[in-house]
Formats: sequence, C-alpha cells, structure tokens
Amino acid sequence: MTDVVRTGFRPSRVAVYGLLLLAALVYLIPLFIMLVTSFKTPMDIRTGNLMALPTDWTTIGWTKAWSEACTGVQCEGISGYFWNSFKMTVPAVLISTLLGAFNGYVLSKWKFKGSDLFFGMLLFGCFVPFQVVLLPMAATLGKLGLANTTSGLVLVHVIYGVAFTTLFFRNYYVAIPDALIKAARLDGAGFFTIFFRILLPMSTPIFMVSLIWQFTQIWNDFLFGVVFASGDSQPITVALNNLVNTSTGVKEYNVDMAAAMIAALPTLVVYIVAGKYFIRGLTAGSVKG
Amino acid sequence: MSQLELRSIRKTYPGVAEETLKGIDIDIASGEFIILVGPSGCGKSTLMNTIAGLETISDGSIVLDGKDISTMEPKDRDIAMVFQSYALYPTMSVRENIAFGLKIRGLPKHEIDQEVERVADLLQISQLLNKKPANLSGGQQQRVAMGRALARRPRIYLFDEPLSNLDAKLRVEMRTEIKKLHQRLKTTIVYVTHDQIEAMTLADRIAVLKDGELQQLGTPKEVYNTPANLFVAGFMGSPAMSFVTVTVAQGEQGLYAEVRGNNGATLRLPVPDYLADRVGKKVILGIRPEHITQPQDQKNDQSLVAKGEFTIEVTEPTGPDVIALIQLNDTNVHCRIDPEHPVTWGETAELMFDMKKVVFFDPDTEKRIAPH
Repeated sequence: MTDVVRTGFRPSRVAVYGLLLLAALVYLIPLFIMLVTSFKTPMDIRTGNLMALPTDWTTIGWTKAWSEACTGVQCEGISGYFWNSFKMTVPAVLISTLLGAFNGYVLSKWKFKGSDLFFGMLLFGCFVPFQVVLLPMAATLGKLGLANTTSGLVLVHVIYGVAFTTLFFRNYYVAIPDALIKAARLDGAGFFTIFFRILLPMSTPIFMVSLIWQFTQIWNDFLFGVVFASGDSQPITVALNNLVNTSTGVKEYNVDMAAAMIAALPTLVVYIVAGKYFIRGLTAGSVKG
Repeated sequence: MSQLELRSIRKTYPGVAEETLKGIDIDIASGEFIILVGPSGCGKSTLMNTIAGLETISDGSIVLDGKDISTMEPKDRDIAMVFQSYALYPTMSVRENIAFGLKIRGLPKHEIDQEVERVADLLQISQLLNKKPANLSGGQQQRVAMGRALARRPRIYLFDEPLSNLDAKLRVEMRTEIKKLHQRLKTTIVYVTHDQIEAMTLADRIAVLKDGELQQLGTPKEVYNTPANLFVAGFMGSPAMSFVTVTVAQGEQGLYAEVRGNNGATLRLPVPDYLADRVGKKVILGIRPEHITQPQDQKNDQSLVAKGEFTIEVTEPTGPDVIALIQLNDTNVHCRIDPEHPVTWGETAELMFDMKKVVFFDPDTEKRIAPH
C-alpha cells in the first residue's frame, strides 16, 4: 500500500515541482526575450509585443552585430573584439590554472615553514575588490610597458585568478593521500615528475572547475577591460557596452540583443562542454579541506 | 641480500617537546624478516619512514651494506615500500604502476617488460596488468602494491601495515603469501604492524617498541616466552597474559606463592628457585592462558605443577579451546581449557597450573626477573 502511495501523486511533490518549474521559467524569460528580439526586424520590435515570436524571422541583427554595428566611431561590428576577448581569455585561463595547480601542489604536498600562513594570505586575494587595485595596477602596467595591450590584460587576470585557482587545487590535492607522493619518491620520481606524471593526470575534475570559473570570470570582466585596454585591444564586454550606448538614429534592439548573445555564447559553450565536471569537482574539493 | 644497521636513531619533530624516537639500535641481517610492533604512536611508522628516507633523523645513523645512507634522498637508497593504503597511482594501469619506478630509472623497454612479466607471474596478477587500480579488489591492489615494490629488486623491502586494510580472511591468506614470498626470495624485510599475531607468524625477529624506545628485540619465541618487561608480556599473545601480584614464601617443599580465588579457596603455587632472594617480597606473576588448563594426568607427577578449584566466571568458546575467566587475588585471569572438558560459568572447576613457563616481574622496575 505504502509503495503505491509513494509512486503516486502527492500534493507536496506537485507543489515542489510546480515551484521549480516556475522559477525556471522566470529565469528563462529574459533569455527568451533576447533570443526572439535578436531575430526580429526593427519594424517588428516597434509594433509587436515583447514576448511575441518574430513575424519575419531574420538574421540581420546577428550579421549586423557581428560585422557592421558601430562601437563608438568605428562601425565594424564586434567580431574584432570577440577575438580580442579570446586572445585575452585563453592564455589567462591556461596560465592561471597551471600556476594554481602548481601552487596547490606545493602548498599541500611540499609544505614549508610558514606555508599555511602563505596560503591564508593568498586567500585574501579572493576578496580584494577589483576597484582597489585599479590605480596601482595601472601604474605597474605602465612601468612594464604593457599598458593598453592584451598581454597586460592577461597579466592582470592571471594575477587576480591565481588566488582562486590555488584555492581550488590546494583543497583538491590535500584530499589526495600523502602515501602516493611517498611511493613516487621511493620509485625515484622527483618534484616535477610527481607533479606532471602523478598529480596532474588525476586533476581532471578540478581542472575543469578552474577552467570554467576562470573562463567565466575573465570573459565577463568589464572593469579591467575598460580601464586597462583601449581601442583595438578592448575585450567584447567593453565593445558591447559601446555598441549599446552608441546613439545614432533609431535604437536597434535586435542588434543589441544579438551582440549580447554573441558575447555570452562562449561561456555558455564552456559550461555545457565541461559542466558535468563542475559540480563533481567542486564537491570533490570541498569534502576534505 | 642486504644488511641494515640502525645505530641509536633519534628523531625529534620540530615544536614537539618529547622525542619520537629515543635512540633505536637494531642490526638487521641479510635476508632477515624483522617486524616492528607496538601500539599506535610508539614510533614504529616514523622509524620506517626514516629508513626509507621520507623523514630525516635528528641523530644516529642508518647503515646499509656498510654505507651510511642517513642523509641520502629516498630515491638513492634503493629501498622499496608497500603502503597500508597501497598508494597505487590511480591514473595508471597495473602494468604502468609496476613499471613506473623502472621507467624513471631509465631501463630499456624490453627489460621493463620482462621485469613486469616476472613480477606479475610471481604474484599471479598477469591477468590484471591492463586494469586500473580502481577496478581491483582490496587483495588484488595489495598484490599490485607488492609487485611495484618487487619490480625494482631493491636491497630492502619496507612494509607499512600492509594487511590492515584487508578483511580478516584475506589478511590471513596474504600473510601466508608474504611468508612464502620471503622464504622464496630471501629478501631483507622490515615490516611494521600493530597486530601481534602477524608479528608472531611472520617474523624472524620482533622489535617491540613503545614511546619511541625499543622494549625488546628477539625471535617470536623469545618475545613470547621470555618477555623483557610487563609491556611486552601484555602486548604479545591473545588472550593476553594475566598479571597477578603475589608474595613469595618459603614452604617445606620449596618456594611458593599463595593465590586466593573469589570463592575464598587458596592455593599454593610452586615457584622456581631463582626467586629465593625475594622471599617475603611481592612479585608480579605473569601467567598465560595455556598455563592454566583442565587437570592433565600426565603432568601429575611433574614439578612446578599445582591443582586447585576455582569458580569459573565467564566461558568463551573459540572452537579449539574454551577461554575461561577466573579470579586470582582479585585479578581477572584467563585459562585455556579443552572444549571436551566441560566447564560451566558460575560453577567451580578443578584447574591445573603449570608453573614451568610462567614469568615473574619486579613490581617496581616492571622488568622480568631473570633466572640466574
């Protein structure tokens, strides 16, 4: 009898799923509006309902956003800035992740006097607001001759990201038994061999976490991009802002929406591709630590 | 075939007041199977790690085949270790696990393959070579861990509680395997365990440690029959040796010690002559369960044998024996009784005390009183 009751409808279950569904809908509505608007003609937008499907499906908004829309004085679309963002994000993500892995390895398996204090202080880096470092960072980049360059942005993001990536990897490696390191040492493996041959191959889940986290952070960053880059080296977030704020003639909502979608796509793709590791890696790192 | 000398090894951890190892001296002969045994925290694992070079020593020296290796890196010591957690590399197959140390040492590929085959044959894990450690049972992982150690043909093998993660049945099987392996390969082995049965069954010699000090070093027989002190006596043997405080007295037929059961009855236990200078003094009688049995006719006329009636408080049948609990001088004492000889708890039974192998300890120093 009880089995039947359990598998059948229960009001509480229905309520829970109903609420979840509602919450999902609320979150999806902006995305829906963005998507349908990006495929509408300007005429359609002005006369039609916000929630309605396009009467004429057109990709003109997308092509215009990609290659014709004005971002300030130039009218070459956001494609160039899209690639700028890649040129900044990919190296910054990879370098900060590898550095974090290496830091985590040292801080968990080759502890030195004061290494815990060092780690604790490094964690402050996770909580320092972006605005605080703007001026000193600008001065530093100027001294290094990296002002207004993509390399400069990469450097800024690597420095900022290392605190997080170190935290991820350190907590992941702490849970790996020390006996493994001892066994490798007796097998004759040295400091780097143990890292590259034993630990790194075990790090896929946390690697994915770090990758997703860093990619999202760096790709979506606006403040560093607007301050430390100018003109041709600006990332897409800055270009998107300029595109939306350029006010010549009628506001082209379809172009704005398409540009916003283009700017958001890479992080979505990264999450979809590597997302299954994200939850797993986060919990793997946090169970012990 | 390697000989290892531990010379007054001392180890103090930074920031810890008490020494973890307080001067350990052990000479290990080539091909010898030495077991370090003791309760947790006695320093046995630390001692093993210092031999491996995973931890430094504060004082003393470790000499392997005449060469001081105290300050060498682990990889240069030519020592292999089997860990309690097996510590297999999870991303590598069994074959790669075994081959890892050989690869690092730059052996040519065909030699590595040959060596892996040899080890796999030896441990009967050939069919597992392409599997990942996660897909193996505990016993199989244990074999692979041993295979990894064997592959390099190191001079010394260290085993750090290798069987304690296995279930009881498998543990006994692997124990036999390790013993067979040692008898076949005649390698020098240092083996850490807290399981005194493992120590008794496997060792050529046992080193009993407590609080960073070597309590006794001897063959299993020596450690069992002539424990150096109360600690060793209580640690080795299951059920443990019972300790009863008695007073030595001079009787007409020789020395005796009187014990009183909880039924009020007293019994004069004959004690050996070497206690003559302790007449009137208290000593601690160490008596093992097998020294108190049902009456055995063939022992009736032997010296140092006594019979008395005592109340059985608890009986624990183990199969081959029944372990019975009695009280002597208000102390619990275990007896080992033939299951064919019926005893019932709560009733009195006649028991025979064979005093030939009992030991005596000085109540102040806790050291065994040696016959002179």
